[in-house]
Amino acid sequence: MNEVLLSNQVIVYLLSESTLFFLLLVAFIVSLKVLLKWDFESFTPLQFTLEKQAYLVTAIILFVFSMKFLLILYFIFSIDALSLLVPGAMCGAGVIEANDYGSYLLILKLSILFFLTLWLYINRYDMRTKNHKWFKEKSWLFSFIFLLILVELGLDYSYFSNIDTHMPVSCCSALFGQLEGANPLPFGLSITLLLVLFYLLYALVIVTLKTKQTLLYILANILFVYIAYYAVVYFFGTYIYQLPTHKCPFCMLQVEYMYVGYLLWASLFIGTYIGLSDAISTLWLKQSHTRSQKSVTRLLSFFVLLCTTYVAVYYFKNGVLL
Amino acid sequence: MNTNAFWHFLTLQLYKERSKHLSVVGISVMILFLLSSVQFISSSIRFSLEETLKVQPDFVVSRVQGGGSVPTPIEWSDELLDIYGVSKVTPRVYGRYYFAAKEKSFLIVGVDFMEEQSHETLQKLIATTDIKAFLEGKQMLVGQGVKAYLEAHFYKDAYNFLTPSGTFEKVKIFEILPSNSNLIANDMMVMPIDLARRVLGYGEEEVSDITFNVPNPDEWDMMTDKLSALHFDLQVVNKNEVRKSYENLYNYKGGLFLILFIIVLGTFALILYQRYSMVYSTERRHIGLLRALGWSINDVLKLKFMETLMVVFASFILGIFIAYVYVFVLGAPILSEIFLGGQNLQNTVSFVPVFDFSIFTSIFLIYALPFIAAVLIPVWRVSVTDPKEAML
Amino acid sequence: MRSDAVNNEMMIQIENLNRTFEHAGNEVKVLQEINLNIVQGECVVLKGVSGSGKTTLLSLMAGLDKPSSGKVLIEGEPISKLPDAFASELRAKKIGMIFQHFNLLEHLSVSENVTIPLIPSGLKMKEIHQKVNSALKLANINHKKESLASRLSGGEKQRTAIARALVANPDIILCDEPTANLDRDNSLLFIEILKELHALGKTIVVATHDPLFENLSFESTVIPMVDGKIV
Repeated sequence: MNEVLLSNQVIVYLLSESTLFFLLLVAFIVSLKVLLKWDFESFTPLQFTLEKQAYLVTAIILFVFSMKFLLILYFIFSIDALSLLVPGAMCGAGVIEANDYGSYLLILKLSILFFLTLWLYINRYDMRTKNHKWFKEKSWLFSFIFLLILVELGLDYSYFSNIDTHMPVSCCSALFGQLEGANPLPFGLSITLLLVLFYLLYALVIVTLKTKQTLLYILANILFVYIAYYAVVYFFGTYIYQLPTHKCPFCMLQVEYMYVGYLLWASLFIGTYIGLSDAISTLWLKQSHTRSQKSVTRLLSFFVLLCTTYVAVYYFKNGVLL
Repeated sequence: MNTNAFWHFLTLQLYKERSKHLSVVGISVMILFLLSSVQFISSSIRFSLEETLKVQPDFVVSRVQGGGSVPTPIEWSDELLDIYGVSKVTPRVYGRYYFAAKEKSFLIVGVDFMEEQSHETLQKLIATTDIKAFLEGKQMLVGQGVKAYLEAHFYKDAYNFLTPSGTFEKVKIFEILPSNSNLIANDMMVMPIDLARRVLGYGEEEVSDITFNVPNPDEWDMMTDKLSALHFDLQVVNKNEVRKSYENLYNYKGGLFLILFIIVLGTFALILYQRYSMVYSTERRHIGLLRALGWSINDVLKLKFMETLMVVFASFILGIFIAYVYVFVLGAPILSEIFLGGQNLQNTVSFVPVFDFSIFTSIFLIYALPFIAAVLIPVWRVSVTDPKEAML
Repeated sequence: MRSDAVNNEMMIQIENLNRTFEHAGNEVKVLQEINLNIVQGECVVLKGVSGSGKTTLLSLMAGLDKPSSGKVLIEGEPISKLPDAFASELRAKKIGMIFQHFNLLEHLSVSENVTIPLIPSGLKMKEIHQKVNSALKLANINHKKESLASRLSGGEKQRTAIARALVANPDIILCDEPTANLDRDNSLLFIEILKELHALGKTIVVATHDPLFENLSFESTVIPMVDGKIV
């Protein structure tokens, strides 16, 4: 039996994902039934039963949602622990790249969390109307999320069963390092330009948020996440590791760096999820939530501040930059 | 809705249904206790092993014949010293000595007291010894377990070793090894290298194996290739491989346990589902009443869900606490046998408490997630009770 | 139809209400084409024997049950097709119910029972205490505040139920056979409390077959019901 599959954490992880999937399957079947026969204006016992069953679907989704957040943290933690078993891996980066499924799985997980956040927003607005105005939209979105989770489960099992503990993998210095002078940054940017773009986009996000230019905000935020990823890996990260050649998005999640990676990535992604969900709700349902905007501002500002602080502290301590 | 009034009401409801909740808590605590104990023991051993490995030399080289280790020529040390990047080359003499016809065995470790040891712990162990006095006679340092065994067999100060060549070597006990590294030192007998050779039957130019360190981690892969090229009968094992094999062993044991445990969990989940589905008519009327008095389905769901969470957390804390006491205070009688293999001596190891996010989350996930999943549907079913039920 | 200006005074409006149950494959028409308007501050007595449909009508008014067709409007708000969150809020704020069998939670004390409707409201403890105390005083059960509900007499239980119905200061009080489990003295006491509530301007609907309600000392309308119809 594959040694990885016997690892405690992998077993617990797969069991949790499977349990959640099973629950979600029940929710999906009920949701489909409710969706197909839903007629809010009718007075039949069937309709009243369907309305009750809608509560089951909501309860299950809420539970799954909170667990998914916990599980992605646990997933990352487990991947890191697995680096002991996979030759050549010093951190999660190597383990993720142990086969083709790894990076797709991670991206899929992040996407699912976003769509679940969006569903929460739509659900909230729907529950506040007197006629379940967005019930159908909500249900179709859930069906889409369910399909994504189905794929995720398949990828989970494929990924873990295909981690070969005998084949060495590249560690992060090989994966993210600048080998042979090739520029890993997007659009052929230099580090300076990347940073300029990083701060500019951050400012743009805040401005478009405050002036309620929703469409522009969505574009700005998506671009910001993209650029921020590179900025963290190729610039800010090096200040966290205090080593100009250490470029890795995963190592900062380890205990040596006080787990700051979790804070960093969480603030970026959660801020983005909330912001984008609120923005899409504004465009689609014409509903908005001012407190969300405050949260987004706070989270993204915290993220930017945290990144900048590492650089500033290093500069003040050493008088030079890396 | 999370006001004091809500919590007060929740407490009253929990108390009213205490027999149902207590029975669930009871079974949960048993399950959690078992699960947590295993996790604690396993992670504690892992930690101790990692600590042990940290101080061990990076590479071990020995001679093999027909797949098994045979005495290694000491001249190989010179060849190793010639290799660039190698440091602290240390030939070792050690082996198992069997007492009373294969009943018990101890590890005899020969030490060249004139040289620096490549094994840090060994270095620490003998650092406190008065070497001059020690070398004055045929003496040895023994671990706690050895001392206890020898005393039980009426050997108070010395022991007569029977060597493979048929002669006897009487060796006195000089000192007991410090017990903080009990995992290794427990069944160990440390003696001068030449004495060890005689007791174990090695020739003067022979050693069990040769260890060394390679400070630059990038050179490790290359080192194995270089060494294998030296002699056809040379075997080299490095620390990472040892670490990996231990990981695999514990993963294997732990993994099997978990898989079996999941079956127990499945049964538990079914029981829970059933138990929570058994809603007596009085409870239905009560929920109907709450609904009739203006509680929405969400409010009732919140109440019922919180009840469940309270049960989960109470069990979780209680289970972990009892497991903690069992493993780290009482030393986990019975269970530790399974993990320490029950071989050789009674290892009076006290487990080192090792906590990290991963252990608690693992325990929480494997217990609480299936629990809540199992009761979600019954809880919903009772929460959507029609307010009409209050009228009946 | 009355004009909008008058509609605001209309507490309860029932339009073409029907309630049919499925029983052993047969359809049982419990309520047929009920039309009823109850003005603010009015006291209505639904009179009829058991099986006349008065209890069902009451539960439909309270939003506890859903009609097979027709509308129930509380202060102009159609409650029959409201999502649960809204319907419950309406019930919590506007309607106080008194049940035939009191329906107290026996393991709780009087004040704890009376607190129940206020728990989801999110009010602070201080406010809740105030409201509970004034309700207990109004129902004249303050002296038994800490007693367990299981230890009360019939009349005391009824008064606790009244306090519970009043605690959120609702505009509408609905009573289902309130005196069915009381002796004559306690029944008269209950009617006295109803009189006070009527004086406070509450809208009251009582479903009963107790003859004591046929000649109340305060202004009331008696509506007889037979076989699910108003006669």
